[in-house]
Amino acid sequence: MKQRFKLLRFWAAVITAKCAIVILRLFKSGGTSLPGKLALKLYPQILDHLAGLFRVTMITGTNGKTTTSRIVLSMMEQKGLKVITNKSGANLSSGITTTLISALTLGGRPRFSHALLETDEAAFRTLAPRLKPETVIVTNFFRDQLDRYGELHTTVNNVREGISRIPDAVLILNADDSLCASLGRNAPNKVIYFGMGEGIYPESGASINSDAAFCIQCKSRYEYSSVTFGHLGHFRCPSCGYERPHTHVECSGILFYDSLGSHVEISGPDLRISVKLALPGLYNIYNALAGASFGLALGLDEKAIAAALSGFECGFGRMETIAIQDKELKMILVKNPTGFNQVLRYLLTQEKPFVLAFAINDRLADGTDISWLWDVDFEVLALMAERVRNFYVSGIRAEDMAVRLKYAGISTDRIRMEKDYRQLITRALQETGAGETCCILPTYTAMLDIRRILKKQFGLKEFWK
Amino acid sequence: MYELTICHLYPDLLNLYGDRGNIIALTKRCEWRGIRVHSRPVSLGDRFSPDECDILFIGGGQDYEQSIIQDDLLKGKREAIKEAVEAGKVILAVCGGMQLLGRYYRTHDGKDIACIGAVDLWTHGSHDRLIGNLVFECDFLKKDGFDGLVVGFENHSGKTWMGPGVRPMGKVIAGFGNNGEDGFEGAVYKNTYCTYSHGSLLPKNPALADHLITLALKNRYTDFEALPPLDDSLEAAAREAMIRRLTGKQGSGR
Repeated sequence: MKQRFKLLRFWAAVITAKCAIVILRLFKSGGTSLPGKLALKLYPQILDHLAGLFRVTMITGTNGKTTTSRIVLSMMEQKGLKVITNKSGANLSSGITTTLISALTLGGRPRFSHALLETDEAAFRTLAPRLKPETVIVTNFFRDQLDRYGELHTTVNNVREGISRIPDAVLILNADDSLCASLGRNAPNKVIYFGMGEGIYPESGASINSDAAFCIQCKSRYEYSSVTFGHLGHFRCPSCGYERPHTHVECSGILFYDSLGSHVEISGPDLRISVKLALPGLYNIYNALAGASFGLALGLDEKAIAAALSGFECGFGRMETIAIQDKELKMILVKNPTGFNQVLRYLLTQEKPFVLAFAINDRLADGTDISWLWDVDFEVLALMAERVRNFYVSGIRAEDMAVRLKYAGISTDRIRMEKDYRQLITRALQETGAGETCCILPTYTAMLDIRRILKKQFGLKEFWK
Repeated sequence: MYELTICHLYPDLLNLYGDRGNIIALTKRCEWRGIRVHSRPVSLGDRFSPDECDILFIGGGQDYEQSIIQDDLLKGKREAIKEAVEAGKVILAVCGGMQLLGRYYRTHDGKDIACIGAVDLWTHGSHDRLIGNLVFECDFLKKDGFDGLVVGFENHSGKTWMGPGVRPMGKVIAGFGNNGEDGFEGAVYKNTYCTYSHGSLLPKNPALADHLITLALKNRYTDFEALPPLDDSLEAAAREAMIRRLTGKQGSGR
């Protein structure tokens, strides 16, 4: 009887959520959390029930979740798997519930065999035991929105606690991140580590604002034989001996890189491939390594892994390019200092002149505290100032961004404030020359607003598709 | 040519919330006026000597990082920092930095953690977190000829109280301040300025930045009179925008 009642509740919750999804789409709203919220209200255990219907992979960490998901998805497609993913960054319990429900038939049967779920790192602790993933990928840990996540070590420990309750899951961890790699220490799980080979990363970005300069075990200062950026690198604690673990998948050479992508060698005990990544930004090599590790765990051969890596698109808004007449507009999401620094480094590879616009909001999803702008190394803009036609500042906190640029050494007569996004896009594009790029760097909610305008004006595709 | 040495205490450990923006602001505002700045990081194992410092900055850290400095600070630097405070050196301490300068920090389970004890203030941990944008009004900036309003962002669970020898830095106009109860924000003792306000504090509050630079130059050069003004229109716009948003009122523009 109880069992039957449960099933009834499950089915009622599924139908309600499905109706909500249809209605929201009719109104052309990309709402991804409301249907899940309704379902969770009607049947709080629905996630456990749903998780039992799919083979689940979870991806968490501070930066690179969405891009890594895309790469993992193309690995799964190489294998011919039918996969449902939460593409649009709906990565809390409500968004994940919506995603899984949308993958069911009206009768409540799954239309896909696998679920690939990007998961917010703060929500991971409670979600992991409920979703019972077969595989978990953790990209990295950096300081992010302290007003929302609290201290970095709290976030790491939340993920650790989630992992402690899924001992059968295979863990794919970043070996170069002392915080992330520590998740594999003393864990009963099978672990696959990925990382950058010693000394092959071309720009050393050792920063005084390192998020983890001191040993997570014994608090001594780590020694590094090689640094990529932030606190990532070949670390070793001289006091307790905790060190970067041996990798199973490693970038062993960067043959070439420019503003469009890179050509890298990836090797390990079980593979050796040379592949072109169509993803600009060296930080994306880490995401590719995570993806390759997953491919290995999935049992793909070298050829399939290489094929998956060389053929995928960018994640929602993380970096997307649209052609507008003879110009291009690039939008790159920024959300924390480390990610922002990597975007600025990427801009250094732009050879042609470009227009640079920042759109900084301080809504809840952006983080209400924008102090982190002072932790970003905008000082590197001086190295490319000649190539930047003009600097635009926009968003709710445009004024703060203007001050940050001024103190980074940008001459104030080159800083333009434009709070209206429509005007911003028009003015910035006007100043962009033929064949040149206009780069817009928005925080999360600014990205959603700007995207809405781009969708109307230039027919950018809707993001839930 | 005037020169100033700015020391940053544990920049690799106490560096939350864009704290280094304060160093950037002090440095740039000196350089724009032809004042040479030497900046000196003072971290674990480094000696801090008040004689070789004109402005000392102490930021806040996460609990993990603060636990790392505890020993080095109390055994290696406590006396020198007390000496600097008493000698009237210019010191700016933000958030965790303010708590460290006080007498003790009582955790919410009742454990007292000893602090430097250079300023007569103390902090009690609590379960609520005081988070949000903040505006407070400082009389000493009014005396300098400004509207006295300072904007920032606070994020702390510790509630700070002070003894009779210490003045609050300002009166809270919007936000919580030291403890969310008495309506005061920050603390001033001699030339030591403490506040919960990050954001970063000094870039958006140039009057306060210049107040500190002026004090430091007066300390070091008997012939120094006043700083030449700068064009602060961008800073004013950022400050004004937040004052308008939080109080609905217009500031005076400076």
